[in-house]
Amino acid sequence: MPAGYPDTTSMAAMEADTIRGLLEAAFPEATSLSVEDRTGGGDHFQVTVVSPDFEGLPLLDQHRRVDDALAAPLGDGSIHELRIKTKGTA
Amino acid sequence: MKPLNEQISDVITHEPVAVFMKGTPQMVMCGNSHRALQALHAAGAPITTVDILPDPRIRQELAQISGWPTIPQVFVKGELVGGADIVEELAATGELERKLSEALGEGYSGAREERVIALAPA
Repeated sequence: MPAGYPDTTSMAAMEADTIRGLLEAAFPEATSLSVEDRTGGGDHFQVTVVSPDFEGLPLLDQHRRVDDALAAPLGDGSIHELRIKTKGTA
Repeated sequence: MKPLNEQISDVITHEPVAVFMKGTPQMVMCGNSHRALQALHAAGAPITTVDILPDPRIRQELAQISGWPTIPQVFVKGELVGGADIVEELAATGELERKLSEALGEGYSGAREERVIALAPA
């Protein structure tokens, strides 16, 4: 890779880890948690969270919880697109 | 002319299935709006779409009303169902059709032409 060009692959990996960290903090009891960089560009993500937090919550509110956890990167535009999949543990 | 937020509320309240999206069903301008439309079409939903792109205030006012930050937004009988992910997931499980039947009555499918409403920001 030429000098001066950012390694987008590792930047994206860092981004995914940042998002994962935010989700882990928001859903400490999650039994499964994944963050996928859908395009490799570090701004289109698919997140999947399985957690007892979602038990009995309407899907809309489950997604709101995830949006809230990622409010900062969503708000400042570092996440352009977020796809969410949530599930309770029961 | 009513203020923009009232125009938006009117659509949400009065249209059986309201879809706020980027573009129109004839010219969809965003992958997520496309996903939501596909799921609604598959379920035979009688949709009314509103293009949010002509004026940024439409999106701002809508977010104020719904408390949901992203586009598309799908409402059934005035109630926010969700965006592309939720509508797609509900369609996949058959829950979307059940929800539509419950809200609009059996036989909702094909009972009505698709509509496009253009809002008029003041």
